[in-house]
Amino acid sequence: MTAVWGNRQYRIWTGLLLLSVLLVVLAQHVPLFKSFPAWLVLDLSTWLNSVISALFETLRPLGMLLSTLAEMPLAGIRSLLAWAPWPATSLLVILVALYAGGLRLALFAAVALGMVVVMGYWPKAMNTLALVIISVPVAVSIGFALGALAHRLPKIRPAMIALLDVMQTWPAFGYLIPLLILFGFGPTAGLTASVIFSVPPMVRNTLVGLSDVPPAIVESALMAGARPRQLFWQAMVPTAMPQLLVGVNQTTMASLSMVIIIAIIGGFNDLGWEVLSAMRAAELGRSLGAGLVIVLIAVLLDRITRGFAERGGRAISGGVLRAGMVIALILAVLLSGYDLLPGDQAQRLLRRIDGWLLDFVAWSAPVFAVLRNAITYGVMLPMRIGFSGSASPMVWGFALTPAITAAYVLVAVALALILGRRKPMRGIVTGFAALLFWTGLPAFPWPGVFAVIGVATWQKGGAGLFALAMAGLGLAGLSGLWVPMMQSIYLAAVAVLICFVIGGALGVLAAENDRFSAILRPISDTLQTLPQFVFLIPALMLFKVGEFTALIAIALYAVVPPIRYVEHGLRNVRPDLVEAGVQMGATPWQLLWQVKLPLARSSVLLGLNQTIMAALSMLVIAALVGTRELGQQVYVALSKADAGAGLIAGAIITAIALISDRLLRRRVSN
Amino acid sequence: MAKKLTAAMTALVLVGFGSGPMSAAELGAVDEPIKVAMLEWTGAQISAQIAGKLLEKAGYKAEYITAGNYPHFQGLADGEISASVEIWLNNVGEVYPKVLEAGKIEDLGSLGLKTNEGWIYPKFMEELCPALPSWEALNDPDCVAHLASPDTLPNGRFLDYPADWGSRAATIIADNNLPLTAVPSGSEGAMIAELRAAVAAKTPLVMMFWAPHFILAEVEVGWIDMPPCVDQSNEHCIMPPDVNKAVWSGFSEKWPAAYEVLKALQISTEDQQAMMLAIDDKGQSLDAVTTEWIDNNEALWRPWVDAALN
Repeated sequence: MTAVWGNRQYRIWTGLLLLSVLLVVLAQHVPLFKSFPAWLVLDLSTWLNSVISALFETLRPLGMLLSTLAEMPLAGIRSLLAWAPWPATSLLVILVALYAGGLRLALFAAVALGMVVVMGYWPKAMNTLALVIISVPVAVSIGFALGALAHRLPKIRPAMIALLDVMQTWPAFGYLIPLLILFGFGPTAGLTASVIFSVPPMVRNTLVGLSDVPPAIVESALMAGARPRQLFWQAMVPTAMPQLLVGVNQTTMASLSMVIIIAIIGGFNDLGWEVLSAMRAAELGRSLGAGLVIVLIAVLLDRITRGFAERGGRAISGGVLRAGMVIALILAVLLSGYDLLPGDQAQRLLRRIDGWLLDFVAWSAPVFAVLRNAITYGVMLPMRIGFSGSASPMVWGFALTPAITAAYVLVAVALALILGRRKPMRGIVTGFAALLFWTGLPAFPWPGVFAVIGVATWQKGGAGLFALAMAGLGLAGLSGLWVPMMQSIYLAAVAVLICFVIGGALGVLAAENDRFSAILRPISDTLQTLPQFVFLIPALMLFKVGEFTALIAIALYAVVPPIRYVEHGLRNVRPDLVEAGVQMGATPWQLLWQVKLPLARSSVLLGLNQTIMAALSMLVIAALVGTRELGQQVYVALSKADAGAGLIAGAIITAIALISDRLLRRRVSN
Repeated sequence: MAKKLTAAMTALVLVGFGSGPMSAAELGAVDEPIKVAMLEWTGAQISAQIAGKLLEKAGYKAEYITAGNYPHFQGLADGEISASVEIWLNNVGEVYPKVLEAGKIEDLGSLGLKTNEGWIYPKFMEELCPALPSWEALNDPDCVAHLASPDTLPNGRFLDYPADWGSRAATIIADNNLPLTAVPSGSEGAMIAELRAAVAAKTPLVMMFWAPHFILAEVEVGWIDMPPCVDQSNEHCIMPPDVNKAVWSGFSEKWPAAYEVLKALQISTEDQQAMMLAIDDKGQSLDAVTTEWIDNNEALWRPWVDAALN
């Protein structure tokens, strides 16, 4: 054990562990340590509101002007798409698909658009498309300008990247109210939220693209006498074009996903609204239909923009494209005014799905009740109220006697010492785990949270990250959201744990078996592009309102990153190293655990990072099934039109996301 | 297209013949569409369509703006939405009272729906808890045991309104010392999904709810006879909520006759519920169902339109 005391790192963490134990013991007698003191809670949201309403009311004329400017082209495109009969619009899209990706993509486009028509979602899909058509160019221009600026001025890059992270992690519902005050009721507020969310990928790709321009190209342009403007537009931008187009692709996808979520404001009768209305009426068939249409459109937009990014299009000649466009226009003029859309038979068919779901619920209720109870009693309650809370006749069927407490302490200490014998850090981690399992995550004494997070952020990320962590925790405490914050962390932590186990296992299987991988990929794609609201209805029927259902909904979405990254990591392990393992006589199991997974470590950690981001982004959606954490606070603020409260709850979620991202990212680079 | 044409012709006819010396109200800006809010739930969509179709009969253009219940009050205050005809005053958030106070919107009085609000349970529960529908059943340990869940042990689980609607049920449970724990439901969809699942799987459930609502046409529920109120305040006592109509403050000046039509508009609970059933259960389109109502009830609405125009 001498090594422990020889190392400053271990000394600090052992000290922290002992401090936390002390705090847990003290918290039973001193209420100050148990819950964040109420006398420290300030009415931050009221202050914030007075500032925001004053500011935004003054800016309002400007906002109204902008909103008029945005809504004119939007109204134009919307009526154009509404006027054009579907065969004409479809023909145009199929031609673009043919141009961008060849025959296969054109065929897919034809089938996808045909399904949109048959299922009866054409007008709504066109409204969604109008929103995307307006928001993508704006986001791409802003993103390109910011990326070029950051490339030009390396000094502002760190600040810019931090800003991008904030834009991507701040829940949109949290800043919807200020936007509504500024722009008034209408699509502009939603479009702005969509632009805010979809600008970052364009900035990042612009930055990467411009930075990766080979110096030789810059030099030869300079040699040829290019002026700065010519250098930029005629040498650097064309060279960076493939990367810029990747940015356009990602921005388009982000924009589409946000346009769906932001439909909560209403006013546009688009696909997102359809999904939300179906969720409101708890109709699975309807929301699944709209969700499927969204997936089809997303895949189509993705493949088309990706086709341009990878090959620059040109699968057919421009002449054919122009001729096709003329035909589409003639078709549009000829057919306009006729009602060519099918009736609502498909919608009625979709309604049958609800009947099947209810039959399934009736048949399977006992099974799912058992599953729900097992996970609630076995995983969720212990993590929420801890061993100390669960060991009661109500929950686990036995009381917390002094003998049991003593046994717990003994086992925990013994386990920590045994595990820490060779690698002291393992012992310390075990100690913290035992302590957390004793109190439950939300009830961990708050000074302990400050201390542990403070030391961790200081060590991994320096003063900047430390300041961010302290500000985030302080904001949660002072605004009276300490408990919801801990509840959020707890819910996200359980979800990440479950996702990582299940997703990791699926990823391993997919890496080993090509057929399994091929089956899994479209499922993963669908889980990620299907609007998250769709998951909620079946989860609710099977598992009832409450945290457990929220957990299932979060897990269904956040399970995709571990599958992808684990598979990717394992498939890219150097074959010679695996071969060496085989030569040494490793069993497949040993090969996996001792060769492949350690080698794929950075990819696996990146997957963990993405799982956490996905879980946190689902918190606000999961609040619709009745949680008690920050996501719910965002809704409460939305309904009260309390801009300040929404911003604060959103800021805390962003802080959690940024801190966990930075903590894990440092690890990766180490 | 054909519909628009009819509306335009109706408008012409009405402009031609309707504006005699007797006219009680000017038509006003007939060329500018009146924007009627289409809120999320079927009942409100029916009311909006009926209002819009009556305005068309009176010679106006109606445009339907799909809108979220909470956000749409801001639009109503700014005039981006002209009218909203089904506002549940028990669920208006905090913008509505502010803009009403500031005179940015005008309350047009009741829509005429006979509403109900209270605690409901799926009908089959009367076998498990014979004392139902009396609230005393919820004091019976055997009955409460059916409702218990891991989150609420040893209490029974009571499914409450979403947290953002406010919780009076928790107050009333406390007032009467009932062994129940109120669990906030998160959203209306969550409440309906649970109710459907409870009926399908015969799992016991007691929840807060309101009428008219389309789900009540689909599943069979009982209303609990509520315990006596501690006092008559909104917090401790559930009363049937008022459902009113409201317009943007500039409405009466811009469309004087339309203002009179909307003021006169009344929809009965029975009619609305029948239409909800046709739409949500039988899968008929909103447009077809409301057009049918307009065609069948001319005797009812013709006097409203005539009074406004003549």
